[in-house]
Amino acid sequence: MKKGYPVKLLKETLKFTLSVLVLSVLVFGMSRLAPGDPLYAYYGERVEKMSVVEQEQARARLGLDEPLPGQYVRWFRGAVHGDFGISYQYKTDVKEVIAARIGNTLLLGGLGFFLVFALAPLLGIFCAWREDKAVDRLICRIGTVTSCIPEFWLSLLLLLVFAVWLGWLPSSGAYSVGKEGSLADRAAHLILPLAVVVLGHLWYYAFQVRNRLLEEVRADYVLLARMKGMSGRQVLYRHCMRGVLPSYLSMMALALPHILGGTYVVETVFSYPGIGTLAYESARYQDYNLLMVVSLFTGTLVILCNMAARIVSERIDPRMRARGGVDGGEVRRL
Amino acid sequence: MDLSHCNAAPGREFFFGTDALGRDIFSMIWHGGRISLLVGVLATAISTVLAVLVGSASGCAPAWADGVLMRLTELVLSVPGLLLTVFLQAVLGGTDAFCLSVVIGLTGWMSMAKVVRTEVLQLKNTDYVLAARCLGGGFFHVLFRHMVPNFVPSVLFMAVMNVRNAIVAEATLSFMGLGLPVETVSWGSMLSLSQDALLTRSWWTILIPGVFLAGTLLCLTNLGDYMRKSASKRHSNLK
Repeated sequence: MKKGYPVKLLKETLKFTLSVLVLSVLVFGMSRLAPGDPLYAYYGERVEKMSVVEQEQARARLGLDEPLPGQYVRWFRGAVHGDFGISYQYKTDVKEVIAARIGNTLLLGGLGFFLVFALAPLLGIFCAWREDKAVDRLICRIGTVTSCIPEFWLSLLLLLVFAVWLGWLPSSGAYSVGKEGSLADRAAHLILPLAVVVLGHLWYYAFQVRNRLLEEVRADYVLLARMKGMSGRQVLYRHCMRGVLPSYLSMMALALPHILGGTYVVETVFSYPGIGTLAYESARYQDYNLLMVVSLFTGTLVILCNMAARIVSERIDPRMRARGGVDGGEVRRL
Repeated sequence: MDLSHCNAAPGREFFFGTDALGRDIFSMIWHGGRISLLVGVLATAISTVLAVLVGSASGCAPAWADGVLMRLTELVLSVPGLLLTVFLQAVLGGTDAFCLSVVIGLTGWMSMAKVVRTEVLQLKNTDYVLAARCLGGGFFHVLFRHMVPNFVPSVLFMAVMNVRNAIVAEATLSFMGLGLPVETVSWGSMLSLSQDALLTRSWWTILIPGVFLAGTLLCLTNLGDYMRKSASKRHSNLK
């Protein structure tokens, strides 16, 4: 590290701001250039009965008659002041619409992420320790099968078995009407979606940990440690895990937006009131302001997590810093 | 289409039963499989070509161009996939299998491009590439004779996985009503009727297309794993 810490921090912040800015321009342009009339989102089927003059008036009121750059500047001015406009479909402030739902998504995605984060290394170590034994093979087989099942179909299957046939668990929503405060009711609604999120992602990461560990186990330092008299278990936990940890942490940083994105499909199947259903609706019905905020939320998350992944792996593994980043910095010859 | 036999359970007349529109699931499975596989392969072909082009261009280009290309890739990666799909679909303006493959192909090349770039960056610093350059080998000669054969295995593995992802994407999109319409029979669009099937308890409309879908995906995964495993086998030092 030749440069000082503040310089680096400034550079990262600048990069982040620039990325978010370009992202907002991109999403803005894309959503407006796509065909479809946002008036439908606002007025529904009534649009067809409105006269041309009325439609023009409605457009002017919503600020949709300006040229695109003008619209963007106006949106941007509002956005930096914390005003993201109103949702055409819900006719209230976008922030209110999102605030009512973001808790549900964060609960589902966050809990799912935490479970995957905690269980994947355990399962990975368990399998690596018993490499090519019957248990390992069995778990690998089951894992491959579960990772092959599309999430939406797994949701349907679980719904069919637990909600329709057995009738144990509720089939949709985040809580029953009239029981908003009840914790048990919440949990009952959360079990199936959470199961899908965890099952859909767990094996991929556990398998990565297992494979990295198996590579690590073949290194020469393991032989040395064994000769010093350490037990295999000690070597595995003290040395091999340390080698795997940086790549695991950066992998998990990249997994966060992936798992949150995965909840979107699950939310739609379970009609779970979260950001996912919002994203789907707003993209489908040209609810511009809502779409912008939802997209910026996910996009920012992706950018932040990418940065976190890079920084984490540089912090933990000094070799990365010496080489100047995860990739790049190689000598260029060709 | 036979409305007098809608939602019939599997039996002697209809091996896999019929769906809510009175269509025989047994024949739709075979017919729909063609579309699902076609979308998978076509989308992968598009995304693979794009990924290899962007990846190797970025790997061989001067540092600033490489930076721009990679930032661009990351940017596309951070636009929500759903929005990108809806947008591309609206631009292409069609809902047939071909358009859907293009959409899925255009949204699925980014991670593969990164892998190709990393491979190219590593390869071009090897001694044999230097030697080939010293012997007077031109850029394209080095690229095709020395580099492509080296990154083909990892690209092949990713391509097989991409076929899998494309099939899942098609099924998920069709299921959500964003992909193929109900009239175009594929495994995904067959499952789009499953919300109603949950209410009428006709389990076969949900179970059977899904089993075929998951089975196909499992086969593709095994194929990919085999390709990856045949690359390296060494002995454990732990025990």
